[in-house]
Amino acid sequence: MANTDKQVTKDSALKKQTIINMLRSALPIIGLVVVFIVFNTLTKGNMWTSRKLILNQVYVVLISTVGVFFIMTMGGLDFSQGSIMGMASIVVCMLSKVNIVLAIVGGVLAGAAIGAVNGFFYVNRKIKSFIVTICTMFLFRGFIKYMASNSPVAASMKVYDYDTLGIKLGITLAVLAVSFLVFRFTKFGIHLKAIGAGEKATKFAGVRTDRVKFLIYVLAGAITGLAAFVNIVKNGSATANVGNQLETQILIALVLGGMPISGGAKVRFENIIVGSLLYIVLNNGLIMMGLTTQAMQLIQGVIFLIFVALFADRQSLSVIK
Amino acid sequence: MSEIRLQVKNVSKSFGITKALQDVSFDIAKGEIHALIGENGSGKSTLTNSLTGIYQKDSGQFILDGVEVNPRNQVEANNEGISIIVQELGTLDGLTVAENIFLGHENKFVKCGIKNTGAMNRKATELLKEYGFERIKASDMIEHYNFEDRKLVEIVKATYFNPKIVVIDETTTALSGEGREELYKQMKRIREAGNTVIFISHDLPEVLRLSDTITVLRDGVYIDTVKSSDVDEDGLKKLMVGREVSGEYYRADYGERVSDEVVMRVKNVTVPGLISNVSFDLHRGEILGFGGLSESGMHEIGKACFGASFDREGTVELQDGTQINDIPTAIAHSIAYTSKDRDNESLVMNQSIRDNICLPSLKTLANKLHLLRDGKLKKFAQQFAATMSTKMESVDQFASNLSGGNKQKVVLARWIGKDSDILLLDSPTRGIDVKVKQDIYQLMDKMRKEGKSIVMISEELMELIGMCDRIIIMKDGEINGEIMRDKDMDENTLIAKMV
Amino acid sequence: MKKTRETAGKKLSARTKGYLLLLLMVIVSWGIFKIITPDNFGSAKNMLSYFEASLLAAVGAVGFYFVMVMGMFDFSIGANIMLSAIVGCVFANRFGLGYPGLVVGAIITGALVGLLNGTLYVKLRIPSMIVTTGLALIYESVANYIAGGVEQTLPSGLRAFGQMPGNLILAVIAFAVAFLLLNYTKIGTYTYAIGSNEFVAKNMGISVNKYKVLAFIISGAFLGVMAVLTISYGSSMVAVTGMASMSRNFVPTMGCFFGLAFKKYGMPIPAIIIGEFVINIIFFGFIALGAPTAIQDVITGFALLIIVMLTTKVAKGEIVK
Repeated sequence: MANTDKQVTKDSALKKQTIINMLRSALPIIGLVVVFIVFNTLTKGNMWTSRKLILNQVYVVLISTVGVFFIMTMGGLDFSQGSIMGMASIVVCMLSKVNIVLAIVGGVLAGAAIGAVNGFFYVNRKIKSFIVTICTMFLFRGFIKYMASNSPVAASMKVYDYDTLGIKLGITLAVLAVSFLVFRFTKFGIHLKAIGAGEKATKFAGVRTDRVKFLIYVLAGAITGLAAFVNIVKNGSATANVGNQLETQILIALVLGGMPISGGAKVRFENIIVGSLLYIVLNNGLIMMGLTTQAMQLIQGVIFLIFVALFADRQSLSVIK
Repeated sequence: MSEIRLQVKNVSKSFGITKALQDVSFDIAKGEIHALIGENGSGKSTLTNSLTGIYQKDSGQFILDGVEVNPRNQVEANNEGISIIVQELGTLDGLTVAENIFLGHENKFVKCGIKNTGAMNRKATELLKEYGFERIKASDMIEHYNFEDRKLVEIVKATYFNPKIVVIDETTTALSGEGREELYKQMKRIREAGNTVIFISHDLPEVLRLSDTITVLRDGVYIDTVKSSDVDEDGLKKLMVGREVSGEYYRADYGERVSDEVVMRVKNVTVPGLISNVSFDLHRGEILGFGGLSESGMHEIGKACFGASFDREGTVELQDGTQINDIPTAIAHSIAYTSKDRDNESLVMNQSIRDNICLPSLKTLANKLHLLRDGKLKKFAQQFAATMSTKMESVDQFASNLSGGNKQKVVLARWIGKDSDILLLDSPTRGIDVKVKQDIYQLMDKMRKEGKSIVMISEELMELIGMCDRIIIMKDGEINGEIMRDKDMDENTLIAKMV
Repeated sequence: MKKTRETAGKKLSARTKGYLLLLLMVIVSWGIFKIITPDNFGSAKNMLSYFEASLLAAVGAVGFYFVMVMGMFDFSIGANIMLSAIVGCVFANRFGLGYPGLVVGAIITGALVGLLNGTLYVKLRIPSMIVTTGLALIYESVANYIAGGVEQTLPSGLRAFGQMPGNLILAVIAFAVAFLLLNYTKIGTYTYAIGSNEFVAKNMGISVNKYKVLAFIISGAFLGVMAVLTISYGSSMVAVTGMASMSRNFVPTMGCFFGLAFKKYGMPIPAIIIGEFVINIIFFGFIALGAPTAIQDVITGFALLIIVMLTTKVAKGEIVK
């Protein structure tokens, strides 16, 4: 009798847990809808009218978030994405004068090369990923400033021919579709999640964890390198500030999308899309409301902390440092 | 009958769904060495850890000299007069010897917020001298000393204030002869002062020699308390295992010839600091046991053969000439490994059972386009979880929610699913209840008959004797003898080669 | 008696070894630049000014050391320095409180920032670097509000801590306090205990969370002192946004890694001070070489990466995220 009682309480506790989990996973989507409706009402539909403008900002963030999503799934971090974007943008600008295809390839390779630097120090020299990437962030930001200090690096005028909805949306959707397929339906996704949830055991199950970790950093760099092309198509030149703060935007976007900060088995691919959209809508809404930069940053910081606290997967962290 | 020091009353403790202690009650007298024995996972350490504040018990009482005690940490336990020397390292790097001895008790040396380091060092030096450990310097950083000396510092730390009860948790296995003698001396000194030692050990002759009274636990349940003078080793074993050791529990055959076919040849394998120059052959259909003290290096054998050791020298070669130097190659050539550290090295804890079972088999589960279907993975996982009769709600459940035995079943299900031919099992039954143990033994016997080869590394001599065709004993990182399966073999033969 | 003298000798040699190593670094870094550019680098007077400049970061680093030894991290160092300097300046200038306002205002602000960092980290149970990233956004914004978007300048009558001997006196006091805390109070012992093994420390009755928060407060207060020195040295402070304050994180963090590396010689604080000096010699060396400012960022990023690589030792098979 006592046993069945225990069973019942355990069951109801379990049910409660599932309900909380369901609410949690639905929160970002609900948030997106609510934020969208609220801002549309407040701006009297202004937001909907300027949807094209808003959409135009989504591409770059959405594409480069994919790479960081993979990195964070393995439990790593990457703060160098802004500088990767900057370096790749400069490369794209310079090469666009020769040939557009070459520019795209060059951007991707430049991104991949910086990713490889990150990966080398992280995997081979065993330095914590966040330290490696803040160093490379600063390092390459210095290069960007040096190269674009006097005047922005301008791209060939030809790039504006590619500034069409079809191309920008096409690239974005293609990146998302391929990465979704690979993440969800190949061993790649399971390996990444397993590394995030327990790297040692994953290694003992035969996954070449070091190789995977290195390649993911290279891949993330390459993806952001591709996003740099979209960025240049939009802007036509690379200033000293190109890509500035992209890493923070990505981090906030992923957290808003419900991504547990330590990665692991609970990440969902939807985190990328919902998070990026929510971030851009929120940002634009606040701008339309006439908020100052510092007010926006304050709100961003507070919301970021609230979402991190909500989605943190504390079970898998025995000691939180 | 001497006076009662400690009453353990209806103490229970669970970890998740694992019941580590169930309603345990018994008494411990003043001025005695009271041994606590039982197989791995029987709840000995859980009980003493609850007494000393390392864990919090779920229910029940500890009554010390008539007063209930309920320490929330070791310092509070010390203040009640209870101290503990733990199994693993209990000293902290980055602190001096003196700071380690007085950790949590600094207030004695603090005046107006300023710590009198000099006075602390002097007091510590005095204590070390009293114990005869002059070669340890109070002001040195603790990391300058080896494991053995650090244990001696722990002995000082746990006993200098004359506690009423000192718990010694399997400390002896980690100590060499000299350190052990020192510990015995201290235990006797504590008893002579009218205080009590609670002594946990796997070494039954040691237990019989030293202790006055022995309490046996099994699967978290209190079994019996006996006088040392009234029992012998066999009697204790019977109490620990809970049945006559024969019949269906282990394998029953003797004298079966093992095939001459060598499936894995290990040659001159050395892992710096752990094992040196180990060579052996593993035959088809053989269960090869490795025994020894836990620090003997035997646990590294499994890793070395699996390609998981760092800086390994020597060769591990399969029948077809394949050299095993890394884990993916090992798995691709049908080698499986279960680690002693199940929660970190065998299972991805916060991952579903499904993914845990499928992880090494993903390549074969994918279709021609390298795509995986959820349904197929689920079916695969369910099939092999069922083969192992794993108790779970569904394969989507996280592995962390399972009990120790079921976790091990998931690990084994993974390798059965991979259809591995060579199994390296390190402590396969560690922390697992008797029923699941029996399942695992039967599985091993079945595999053996199917021609699979097993390396079984274990600290439990009984299961080595019961299961293995051949037992290799390790000592100080080297092979120190080999014993063939024999009906009349007993533990003493093995222990003689171990120490 | 003879034995004690022997151990004293042995201990001295460990420390002497550490000092010799640091001295060698000073000489080598000086020597290299002296050879390349003998005219405008490395005279005794030059070296003194390099040392003066290195005091700033050294003060912050000895405080941050408490946090780093426990294995935690802080991304809001730069934002903290900025905020504390601005508050101190406002107290001293706008409220007319003079030197007491400057020093007390900055230190209390710094300590409060530390308190907030530590409390949120402990209560929300999120990795410290993530919490402090979110909080850095907030601190930057708050600093911007307080400054009202304009550069805060310290009146020339209040800049005694920007030159000899004021800066040296303040720095020496700070070093002495850190030394005292580390070696002659429970806080120091417990800091190392928690850094060594949190579980064991907890079992010893140390209230781990309390000391973690305390470490953040100590770190914050020292960063407050660093803020006083910084604004006195540079005479003004701009409240930047968009995580630009991160650039101030690097130099104190580098010094901290020196401290961690020399912990085993039993002399972390001298190591931090001399380490920062070495870093400054190298910086000024590059300036003497005529490297553009943008390239200095490159050097900073690279230098931290190299220092971390050389000073951290990771056990085989240990998981690094």
